[in-house]
Amino acid sequence: MDWNLLIGQATVNGLIVGLLYLLMAVGFTLVFGVMRMVNFAHGEFYMLGAFAAYFFTTKLALPFLAAVALSFVAAIVVGSLLEWFILKPFRKDELNGMIVTIGLALILQNVALMAFGPDPVSLPSIASGATTILGVTVANSRVYVVGFAVLVLLLLYAFLRHSRAGRGLRAVVEDSETAAIQGVRARLYYPLGFGIGVGLAAIGGALMAPLFSVSPFMGQTPLLKAFMVVILGGLGSIPGAALAGLCLGLLESYSTLFLSTSTADMLIFLLVMVGMLAFPRGLIGRGEA
Amino acid sequence: MNRVTRNALGMMLFGAVTLQAAAQETLKIGALVTLSGPGAAWGQAMKNAAELAADKVNTVGGLEVGGKKYRVEVVAYDDKYQAGEAVTVANRLVFEDKVKFIIGPTGSAPTLAVQPITEKNQVLTSTLGFTNKAMGVDKPFSFRPVVTTYEFSEPQIAWMVKNLGVKKAGGLFPNDESGQVIARDLEAAYKKNNAELTAKEFFERDRVDFVPLLTRMLARGIDTIELDGNAPGTAGLITKQARELGFKGRIVRTGGPATAELLTVAGKEAAEGMMVHAVIDANLKSTSAYIDAYKAKYKSAPNGFSPSYYDFTGMLFEAMRRAGTVTDSAKVRVELEKINDYAGVLGKLGWTGKANYGVDHQLAVPFYVAEIKNGVEVIRARCTVTEGCN
Amino acid sequence: MTTQLTAGRPAPRTSSAWKLPHGRKLAVVGTAAAVLAAAWPWAAGQFVLHLAILSCINIVIVNGLSLIDRSGQLSFGHSAPVALGAYGSVLFSSMFGLGTITAAALSLLVGAVVAGLLGWVILRLRGVYFVLVTFAFAELVRLVLLDAVSITGGANGIAGIPPLSIGGFAFDSRERFYALALVLAIASVGFMVWLFDRPLGRAMTAVAANPALAESTGLSVLRMQIVAYIGGSVLASLGGVLTARYIGFISPESFATGASVAFITMLVIGGRKSLYGPMVGALVLTPLPEFFRGAVQTQHIFYGAALILILRFLPGGIAGIVAMAAARRAKP
Repeated sequence: MDWNLLIGQATVNGLIVGLLYLLMAVGFTLVFGVMRMVNFAHGEFYMLGAFAAYFFTTKLALPFLAAVALSFVAAIVVGSLLEWFILKPFRKDELNGMIVTIGLALILQNVALMAFGPDPVSLPSIASGATTILGVTVANSRVYVVGFAVLVLLLLYAFLRHSRAGRGLRAVVEDSETAAIQGVRARLYYPLGFGIGVGLAAIGGALMAPLFSVSPFMGQTPLLKAFMVVILGGLGSIPGAALAGLCLGLLESYSTLFLSTSTADMLIFLLVMVGMLAFPRGLIGRGEA
Repeated sequence: MNRVTRNALGMMLFGAVTLQAAAQETLKIGALVTLSGPGAAWGQAMKNAAELAADKVNTVGGLEVGGKKYRVEVVAYDDKYQAGEAVTVANRLVFEDKVKFIIGPTGSAPTLAVQPITEKNQVLTSTLGFTNKAMGVDKPFSFRPVVTTYEFSEPQIAWMVKNLGVKKAGGLFPNDESGQVIARDLEAAYKKNNAELTAKEFFERDRVDFVPLLTRMLARGIDTIELDGNAPGTAGLITKQARELGFKGRIVRTGGPATAELLTVAGKEAAEGMMVHAVIDANLKSTSAYIDAYKAKYKSAPNGFSPSYYDFTGMLFEAMRRAGTVTDSAKVRVELEKINDYAGVLGKLGWTGKANYGVDHQLAVPFYVAEIKNGVEVIRARCTVTEGCN
Repeated sequence: MTTQLTAGRPAPRTSSAWKLPHGRKLAVVGTAAAVLAAAWPWAAGQFVLHLAILSCINIVIVNGLSLIDRSGQLSFGHSAPVALGAYGSVLFSSMFGLGTITAAALSLLVGAVVAGLLGWVILRLRGVYFVLVTFAFAELVRLVLLDAVSITGGANGIAGIPPLSIGGFAFDSRERFYALALVLAIASVGFMVWLFDRPLGRAMTAVAANPALAESTGLSVLRMQIVAYIGGSVLASLGGVLTARYIGFISPESFATGASVAFITMLVIGGRKSLYGPMVGALVLTPLPEFFRGAVQTQHIFYGAALILILRFLPGGIAGIVAMAAARRAKP
């Protein structure tokens, strides 16, 4: 057993998975930052994004990238509408808002169940074969997915940093009252924030769809991971979520290498709980206490 | 009263009389199966098989037992593969719907949970669960229509070691009752044939990313990946991800029909050359007739477990005919146990299992070792429970 | 999610033929109706008894959740103490040969200690953080139960659990068990009503309403919440003990996230404001799936919609409707 190789492989695996967690967590923390809502339906948007990608590629025969983009747009629209019509009374109402999102999750998952049935479906692979760099083998399809994910993140970064809407969003996340005083129309940013947040989840789902199968139940695990990542990274902190996402991916990958899966899972939960108690403001200290 | 009313009344009376004459007694067969979540493919296959068997007798006027004709109705409820739900469903079937015969349960844990109720109330069950605790001398009303790892793994593995040179295998198993039992049985079978199940990894049932586990396993130098014990979709994912990682060795599935799903999820290329356990010989006319009938009614191909349940339900009806009753389950059970030459869609069927379980309540269906070539199962060896594979 | 149920209790009726004062009439008729409703399952057959028992167990558990909620924290991991109570009582009797009642009492005691220690650590967190941590803890418990195969049976669970017995009297039939479950359910509701009429209960309500203000008047928020958390966990563990001894089979699957969500659903739909909310929620939601069997997805969509609508328009839940109706009737 070549340890260097194994660790190298585990690192690559961990980063890829970490990227997915990152996408989920950033969206999740964005929603929390804008609306102070723990969105239990976040995993269901991941699932809907995957189904949208499935639908666009298999039924409408669109190329993969177009399908992903379309899923994102659809998610933003649906998310904004849901926010406007259902979640509006619960903005800033933490606990009730959370329970409402539980209800939303139940509805979304079961609508998907009724529409698509319980069996998992598969997308055709977007690439076949594998690349080997420095002894570490990565499936080509995963390489593509990583590429797209990085692209999405760069676009997100540019949006948040350089566009007016993006800066307004960041302002609302950091301090909505001051933002309001400065003239940022918070009323517009709620639907936008929610829409983009769940849109990111949908992109995550769409990107991962060719790698894993697509089923109405697939959103549960990513939701759980999103929880853990934002706990570690600090609720409301986007850079914290990004860093914690990658860390969690790597941590999982390494611990699975050395420990049995269940021990690894338990260890991670324990670490998350300890982390939350030790670092209430998140790993880099920029979240809320 | 006026003419219109009189005519109306007359027609109603006539209608009522006709309906009365046409009314039959109904025989309710319960189906305690998994219809949602993982395992739904199996549960659907079981329920549909029972329904097809019911259709077959209903189209000729009903099941004729003891001089009366009964319309057979399948009452199905979803247990979601959970023991707690299964118990509630069992309560409902036994006490509300008052059934005496149940198709299912699908999973091992639900089976063990409901048996206290069904055995106590003399309700016959037909589990799909692979646990070896499902049957026994203390469970006179529990039967199993499908062969399990215990029955088929050893002969299949013996054949594979001899003919394919399998030496070190690695397996991924779900961390539950079925998975743990299967892992144990497989390990014993490989050992008996001088090969080794070198690596055993257990994972949570809804896991989708197997790359970390595969990385660990491959590092131990295995030449074969064993997929038995996994739900069909999961098996497909493992295959796909293993090939993507560059694994060039053999992938085998020593049990549980899953070829259709393997091909859909992993794709033809990744599945090429896989050795699988097949329960259906599509060349057998009776079997292919069943598959066609299933496709015609349900618009999709049946999971491989379906024909076993079709034949089991048929045997159940035959046992009722011989016992002359549809309500006395004890008598029906005795007759069912006596059937040893039933002409089912899978071939000639009888019971086995005393050596392992203490009672002959395990249906001895034939099975095959098949290779997936270009998306189709090609049979390489024929096997029976008693004589092994050739 | 072990949610089932029969029709809710009938609303109190009045009759102009009676000469008692208005309030009295309501109370007498209401009580009579309640007694009839509670006694009905014994005459209605095994399946109804089964649902009634499950409802009573849920009443106990959700009252526990309500207790924690009323001190200002919502637990998203309420399935954890239920699991610990279930497994604890079974393992104490099988591993140490203790009688069923002794084992149950011991598991409740251990549950209280664990809850106290855990609460002391995690109740420092507020609001959503507490929610997330309880969620993580419940998952952790489930994983531990799944993994400790040699003790807990792992995924196979533990089958053939013997029924509760005191002296020679065993609760091995549904009729007997329902009596026990009914008594405990009523006791749990009575306990909640009694507690929140006393200073301790009022202190908890104050802490929930405005922690900062409560702290400034000398109440220790942390201490109040720990007490509530211990009480709520013990009630949940009691529910777990009953579940194990009634169904006779436990496995980690029954104590997963779905169960925690189910309890929250029962609490919210029943009504978080009223002390009778948990009871109403459990009674309504436990048998509900039976009406939906065959249309599982519709059932869950209904739950989701009900949650949203109730939070939006009826924050007092179903119990709130009854309270409103009673209030209106009381107006001259």
